[in-house]
Amino acid sequence: MIRLSMLQLRVQAITAAVALIAFAALLAATGPHLVSLYAASGLRGCQPASCGQRASSFLQQVDSTSPYAAVYPLSIVLIALTPVITGLFWAAPLLARELETGTFALAWSQSVTRTRWLAVKLIVGGLAAMAVTEALSLLFAWWAAPLGRAAGLGGSGGLAMNPFNPLAFATHGITPLGYAAFAFTLGVTAGALIRRTVPAMAVTLAIFAALQIAMPLWIRPNLLPASHTTVAVSNETTLNLFRTDSPHTFAFTLATESLPGQPGAWIRSSGAADAAGHPVGTVVPSACTSAAISSGPGAGLANCLTSRGIRIAVTYQPASRYWPLQWTETGFYLVLSLALAGYCFRRLSRLS
Amino acid sequence: MNAAIQASGLGKQYRRAWALRDCTLAIPEGHVAGLVGPNGAGKTTLLRLAAGMLTPTRGTITILGQRPAAGPAQLARVGFVAQDTPVYSRMTVADHLRLGDWLNPGWDGHLARRRISQLALNPKQRAGSLSGGQRAQLALTLALAKRPGMLILDEPVASLDPLARREFLQVLMEAVAGQGLSVLLSSHLVADLERVCDYLVVLVASRIRIAGEVSDLLASHHRLSGPRRDPGTLAADQEILTESHTDKQSNLLVRTDEPILDPTWAVKPVSLEDLVLAYMSRVGDGPVSPQQLKVVP
Repeated sequence: MIRLSMLQLRVQAITAAVALIAFAALLAATGPHLVSLYAASGLRGCQPASCGQRASSFLQQVDSTSPYAAVYPLSIVLIALTPVITGLFWAAPLLARELETGTFALAWSQSVTRTRWLAVKLIVGGLAAMAVTEALSLLFAWWAAPLGRAAGLGGSGGLAMNPFNPLAFATHGITPLGYAAFAFTLGVTAGALIRRTVPAMAVTLAIFAALQIAMPLWIRPNLLPASHTTVAVSNETTLNLFRTDSPHTFAFTLATESLPGQPGAWIRSSGAADAAGHPVGTVVPSACTSAAISSGPGAGLANCLTSRGIRIAVTYQPASRYWPLQWTETGFYLVLSLALAGYCFRRLSRLS
Repeated sequence: MNAAIQASGLGKQYRRAWALRDCTLAIPEGHVAGLVGPNGAGKTTLLRLAAGMLTPTRGTITILGQRPAAGPAQLARVGFVAQDTPVYSRMTVADHLRLGDWLNPGWDGHLARRRISQLALNPKQRAGSLSGGQRAQLALTLALAKRPGMLILDEPVASLDPLARREFLQVLMEAVAGQGLSVLLSSHLVADLERVCDYLVVLVASRIRIAGEVSDLLASHHRLSGPRRDPGTLAADQEILTESHTDKQSNLLVRTDEPILDPTWAVKPVSLEDLVLAYMSRVGDGPVSPQQLKVVP
């Protein structure tokens, strides 16, 4: 039965192998030069004080050097799309095509129970999809390691990505395994329910895309409880100033993209608050109105706001939550996959 | 002798409609049984229940003493060729034989290869490019080479031209003779079955009308013609299946297990086709299987 699943996945396996080899060749051709650029930038063994500057200029340099600016997003897109491609072209036809063409009657009248038939097909196909996706992700992680190290040394801009960035989070670590397993079982389930290949593919695509959009927006932020803190207004702060309808009255907003002493943290939200962390109104206090008029959203206003006890309240996930979040999210998708697979087995006796 | 197929009160309901009802049947081993009936009568449903493709809504069915598709061992004992003889169009003939080898512990590779070469099929040809007749032969080869005790074929010759039809049935009969199989095959054409079957099941409007050995059926059905008379005056054991009257003459088709003694009747034998047509066109849906009269549920 294992040999049959491999025989029937032959075309897909060849396609995947060609794609994997082409991708590996692209990364192997460009990766060593990236390493030499890193070595030339003097980042190895740099003094902490000078690292951030050097790291940033290295990242800028990579971003403006021709193949890298293209290879990086291309890789991200490829890794993000692989689960859904396998879900559409491997998984959705797995049952749907058998039902559509009537070959299920041939498959299920051999001396193998249909439960075993489905189990082997799910395991062989599902594991292959997971392996291909994770292999792409690991190849890319190897290639992009110098960029990650530069970002870790405090570099910013260019190709530096916060690890919690939705695209980075979804293409690194172990989450690609979860996505691949889910897309595969989703495709098989859609095929079992709809019984036609093309509509099953469309439904698989729609549901997978919807969940991949909902995940970073609404689900991932709530997988683990967020941390809260307040920080002082500083030159890292984004300060915006608005006129209001009433004369000599201004409104302001405060936001920050980074937390002092918490490099790589995932900032969920930030805003003006008092010292205790309670949100404060957005109207500029009257004592600071003159500063607002004279300096605009500049240091004068910032200092005045600080002197009035205004700080920035930040809701965030510290960088140390990266792996717990990766495990939780991957586990979430794997549980979903198991539930879908279980449903397919329950439905199997009623499929013909 | 064991029953190849034993069904009792078997029924299958799709959503609202019953595709098969109150099916009680016992076909002994060693027969080539034909299942005949008009399109939509429930033939495919009965065969798919027998092959374990479907589960019954009511009643029970056993093949060679066991529930269909109960496990790998039972699956190995039953060969099934579904309607339109499905094969994997992208796989080659050789791939199909490999599939059979991998999935069936009792696989007879020698038999399969011999049949493929006898049929002059190119092992490297994709199944999708085979003709209808070749595809049917490939599907039959797969079913035969797993060395089943029972072979179930759903309209295997429906899509074939007369020559391919004859060839297919001939190959089937040779295999049956050689392997000692029990066979249940369906067709909506009596002529196909007449040549090969020694047992007949007539299914009309989701119910079995009659089932029995062909020789018994032919012996117990008679065409009577004679001077016009009221059919109500017939002997009590004679059941009228069809009747037609002119001013002077009555023509009847009757079933009886007793000899016809009334000298006013000219008695003629019936052909299998006439018999089947008589049951198909009969009004009313009372099952009248002689089997059923004998079987105690």
